[in-house]
Amino acid sequence: MALTIKAEGIFKTFRSGWWGRKQKLVLKGVDLQIEEGEIFGILGPNGAGKTTLLSILSTLLLPDRGKIGILGMDGLQDGHRIREKVNSSSGNANFLWSLTVRENLHFYGRLYGLTRNRREEKVNALIKLFNLEEHRDATFDRLSTGMKQRLSLAKSLLNDPAVLFLDEPTVGLDPSVSIMIREQVRSIQKERGMTVLLTTHNMKEAEFLCNRIAFLKNGEILTTGTAEDLKRMVRMGDLIKLEFMGTISEDELLRANGVINYGISGNLCEIIVDDGERRLGTLIALLSQSGAQIIKVTLGQTELEDVFIEFAKGTDSDMGVWD
Amino acid sequence: MSLLNLQRGLIQIWAFGIKNWIITKRNVFSLFEILFWPVVGFFSVGLLTNFLELDADMVGFILIGVISMSVIQVCQIDVAYVLLYDLWSKSLKHTFIAPIHPFQLILGSWLIGVIRSFVVFLLLVFLSTFAFGFNFLKPGLGPLILFLLGLFLIAALIGISVCILVLLFGYKAEVAAWSITSLMALICGIYYPISILPSPLPEIARVIPLTYFLEYFRSFYGFHHGGNLLGWGFGQIGVYLVLEAVLFKIVLHRARRTGILIKLSE
Repeated sequence: MALTIKAEGIFKTFRSGWWGRKQKLVLKGVDLQIEEGEIFGILGPNGAGKTTLLSILSTLLLPDRGKIGILGMDGLQDGHRIREKVNSSSGNANFLWSLTVRENLHFYGRLYGLTRNRREEKVNALIKLFNLEEHRDATFDRLSTGMKQRLSLAKSLLNDPAVLFLDEPTVGLDPSVSIMIREQVRSIQKERGMTVLLTTHNMKEAEFLCNRIAFLKNGEILTTGTAEDLKRMVRMGDLIKLEFMGTISEDELLRANGVINYGISGNLCEIIVDDGERRLGTLIALLSQSGAQIIKVTLGQTELEDVFIEFAKGTDSDMGVWD
Repeated sequence: MSLLNLQRGLIQIWAFGIKNWIITKRNVFSLFEILFWPVVGFFSVGLLTNFLELDADMVGFILIGVISMSVIQVCQIDVAYVLLYDLWSKSLKHTFIAPIHPFQLILGSWLIGVIRSFVVFLLLVFLSTFAFGFNFLKPGLGPLILFLLGLFLIAALIGISVCILVLLFGYKAEVAAWSITSLMALICGIYYPISILPSPLPEIARVIPLTYFLEYFRSFYGFHHGGNLLGWGFGQIGVYLVLEAVLFKIVLHRARRTGILIKLSE
């Protein structure tokens, strides 16, 4: 697969105060490679530098140093050409307040140079795709958060982008709208084959949408991989829940291979093991021999959320507005 | 440039014009900008000239200044609005993530400004004829067109300055949209000749093109000034337009470096 986005050694500092005396290093040498047609997620706590990285890759922001390649073009020199082929949508959608849904889409369609017929066709199709028909003549300030978000996504598809940047696309939305938007993003990506780079706090969103995920913390990418890779990397182990009658010998548990930790409360025993599928049979046999009658067994896998918490440990989440 | 690119460029320019137009027609307060303030200002000054029993030449001198200021103010605000609307809507980043050139942004909004201010001009010329017996069309069509072109271009210069300030200072720069014109009124001889200004203000007035256009148009009403007034006026406009184009590019690059485009969109 060809690389659509390649970033090498991206550094970014924000300066504030008189003569920029206060400095905050937000990105510390980020490297990233995203393949064509991939949905790539950047996961990380508040203040990790997600939005800053996305803004740099979408040419809205210039890095202090580093190399960026987007669709084979130089991200620092060919900004104008890149902007023709990319688009973005952000969670906190803001558009011209007094323009209607339709007028906003036509305005941005004009910015991409779409002719009247092409624009009309495109705007109507996007209004339909995002179920905005009823609100097409409502001004932006009258739209609900969910509708604003849908308008933002519609706007981001006006130029049929080869790369789409989504900055927390479902932030602040109720679960049903979030699910709908995620499904729309996935189906649009599948249909058009575009490369999508999204930032999110939401583990389920990352797991549902992304082929690969990078975990960003304090301006550094700690790891990159599929959701499964990340879970394995954290080595948090699998959780085996046992409902039992009789007694469980704690000595047997301590002696058993692969047991990392355990807890017993009444007739419920929770055991964390290195590999649930591999250890389950032996454990049940061992506990049965020691006198416990196992009634119910549940094998739980580590959630991406647990991975997030593990990675985010010790993060200073108060890094200001740059997220 | 291919025909297709030209068409695309024109569509992008017109995007900004149509944006300003839609917002203007939807906002009742924009009527105040076009009608209320110019007309109120015009009558206030016009009636003051009646009270002071000024002769017709002096009334003409002052009315030329007042009408010019209204034309410039209405036109420049449209250019300034092209970024101010985005600033107020927090949508700056959407504009600058699109493949547009700064000149398209300015040109599109300026065209709407020219139309709006021309309407104001016609209205004030009509009122000056009927209320104060002043004939604004006396110099003839050619000088009038050159004079108006000068005013429209000066308005573009002011509007671009506001846009540059917005990209530098964000919300703090809003005030410039209304104050630069007033400052020019003080220095460029709107209500009086610049010769009465204390030093170094007359020297400063000489590097502002409006001074020359006012002197040029007033010369048709008996207030003669030496030198090539139009040459100086258009020459300065040309130099300032080039300087502002370069500055706009630098400031936009700086905005992409400092992150102000994103900060102002949050």
